[in-house]
Amino acid sequence: MDCGTALKSMISKADGLLPRAEEAELAAHLAGCPACAAEDAAISATGPVLRALTGIRATEKAPALDAMRTRVRAGIEESREARRRTSWIARWAWIPAAVALAVSALLFYPSGTDRSPFHPTSFDVSVEDVESDVATVALVDKGEDLPRVIWIIEDAKT
Amino acid sequence: MPRLDPRGRAGAPALVQRAATLLFLLLLLLLAAVPSVAADTVAVDVGSIYASNDGTSIDPALGTIRGKLHSMFNYTSYRMLDRKRLSLSVGEAGEFELPGRRTMRATPLPSRGNKVRLSIQISEGQRSLLTTTLGLRRGGMVLVGGPPHQSGVLILIISAE
Repeated sequence: MDCGTALKSMISKADGLLPRAEEAELAAHLAGCPACAAEDAAISATGPVLRALTGIRATEKAPALDAMRTRVRAGIEESREARRRTSWIARWAWIPAAVALAVSALLFYPSGTDRSPFHPTSFDVSVEDVESDVATVALVDKGEDLPRVIWIIEDAKT
Repeated sequence: MPRLDPRGRAGAPALVQRAATLLFLLLLLLLAAVPSVAADTVAVDVGSIYASNDGTSIDPALGTIRGKLHSMFNYTSYRMLDRKRLSLSVGEAGEFELPGRRTMRATPLPSRGNKVRLSIQISEGQRSLLTTTLGLRRGGMVLVGGPPHQSGVLILIISAE
């Protein structure tokens, strides 16, 4: 095995892809080639070094990650609180709306269609003047408890 | 990572809040307007009653006036043909269509206190059947009757509030 083939085998070994049959051949080459042995040692150490480095970086970034997590949580809480406040308003908003509609209906309901029974509070009526072009008009007063009547007597008809 | 914006979720309810506030203000305006409208206007209510001796039915819509009609007139049947209520300002004439192609024009006149003065004109075509000026208490009533209608007569119940 030459050094070039040994380097490929070293990389395959580090990746766990070196066939078992070639392991002995690579070991024999490494035993007789100090340069390749040093290279193999360096390649084998790459994995642990990378893992260690990642761990160090994660430790360094921990405060920043914590701060970001806190901001996200605060944002979520703020959003929930805003929804709670507005949902309370939405729940009771119909009351003034309903009252406004009721008052509007009372004020603007067509007044010419009243069918409620008559309930007069007074029959006290004064007739200031009365006249007719074609009829005789009689004023009838049958007492305070009864309404006054203006009776039109059409000469030709009544 | 983009920041969360709580206002984004609160947009629609905020609109509801604004609408509710607007309606509430509208309600206050309407309530403030009611007393002035009530003080300056007269609600004239005119019911057209067909009184006859055909049958013995009495329209329940006549309310407490039913017994009084019975004790005042010799008719056996009283039926309300039409009823109209108009809110009129002082000096504003309101026209009421009456059965038999007759019309009644009512005009509130200036008055004091709890009194209502009404100028009433009842016409049949070009003929003036009645011209009168009445003074009533608010809530008071007067009857105008006599014009023939079908086999009976027409009685108008005029009240003012």
